[in-house]
Amino acid sequence: MKTSKMGRTYARALITLVVAAAMVAGCSTTMVKPSGPTAARSKLTQLQSDPRLASRAPVAMKDAEVAVASAELPQRDAELAAHLNYIADRKVDTARELAETRYAEDQRLALRQQRDNVRLAARTREADAAISQAAAAQAEGASQKASADAARDDASLARSDAQQAHRDADQARDDASVAKAATANAEEQSAELLRQLDTLQAKMTDRGLVVTLGDVLFASGRAELRSSTNSHLDKLVAFLGKYPERSVTIEGHTDSVGSSQYNQDLSLRRANAVGAYLTSQGVVPGRIRTLGKGEAEPVAGNDSADGRQQNRRVEVIIGNQAVAQR
Amino acid sequence: MNLPITAFSPTRLRWPIGLGVIMAIGACASTPPAPTAALQAAQQAITVAERTDAGHYAPAELGEARSKLAAANAAVGGSHMVAAEHLAEQSQAEAELASAKTSAVKATAVNAELTQGNSTLVEEMDRSAGEKK
Repeated sequence: MKTSKMGRTYARALITLVVAAAMVAGCSTTMVKPSGPTAARSKLTQLQSDPRLASRAPVAMKDAEVAVASAELPQRDAELAAHLNYIADRKVDTARELAETRYAEDQRLALRQQRDNVRLAARTREADAAISQAAAAQAEGASQKASADAARDDASLARSDAQQAHRDADQARDDASVAKAATANAEEQSAELLRQLDTLQAKMTDRGLVVTLGDVLFASGRAELRSSTNSHLDKLVAFLGKYPERSVTIEGHTDSVGSSQYNQDLSLRRANAVGAYLTSQGVVPGRIRTLGKGEAEPVAGNDSADGRQQNRRVEVIIGNQAVAQR
Repeated sequence: MNLPITAFSPTRLRWPIGLGVIMAIGACASTPPAPTAALQAAQQAITVAERTDAGHYAPAELGEARSKLAAANAAVGGSHMVAAEHLAEQSQAEAELASAKTSAVKATAVNAELTQGNSTLVEEMDRSAGEKK
């Protein structure tokens, strides 16, 4: 019985204590400021003490101030306290960003002003440079005028030179056409020459054009020209008459029949006979040279009648300078 | 035997009726109307932020504002009107921060460009002046 009475007293005391503690706790929660707003407050204070930003966004700044103040009020409801704290924090951040924006915008004016100043300075400098350039150009212009006058004199000289040159050119053109005609003529003549030489069966050698007159010109052992062969010689005369500048060498050749001394003598006499005929037909004697070669330069073997006939001959060598030009 | 009769008199009935009225009022107070104005204000602030391209310059803040507004609408659906109003107000504050941040970033970028342009101009001028000399 005694223990149960004591236990009941203990229980009653305990209940009283718990209730009291609960009441004290309840009081303490309502009286304690939320810990959050101090952070928002310190951010706001920092913002307000920044000389760059403090006066930039007054409306947002006022909003932030109000939100922080209401978050600082003691709240019974923890959820409401957290909410007000959140709002205060964002309002302060917003105020800072807007102040930064205003600051940048104010700076921008200064930057634009600066840019305009720089541009103005650049233009001023350019203008100064242009003025000095103009002065230099003017001076240069004066000297250029002097040289231009000189140039004009030169030009008139040059013009008369040019006219002279023009006349010279005309003259040259005329000369050229004359030369061209002469060339055409020369070409024609050369062609003609070749045609005639062809009929004479001339051969081009190192010594010149060689026209070989066979032994039909002379009777055996004689040095008189047969009259029947004159037509062949006449072609040669005509050719030499057309080209009076060419020298003529006449060589007599024989076969090996008879003594060499005799053959030498005979060959010279035959060459002289041809030369005499050419002279009689109008060829200037000074162009003609006659030689007796005898049997020394055969063109075929002397062991056959045919060979000996080929060796008995007179060669007329026409100087080749005009032909060589072609 | 008068006692039972007096026990059921009208004066005896006042207590239960009063209790019922208080309970009815209490029930009404626990479901206040939806915070339509706050929700609209939040939506408006988000729209403004989106228009200034906050999605690019302040994506975190804009995202937070959107999710707060979604939470607020959810709270309205669950009849937690006080929480809905708080969330809506937080959403609006977040969206306004996003807009402010966007304008700050843009303004700073413009200034940086201007500064750069000015120094380039000065350099050019110095160079061209150097060439002329």
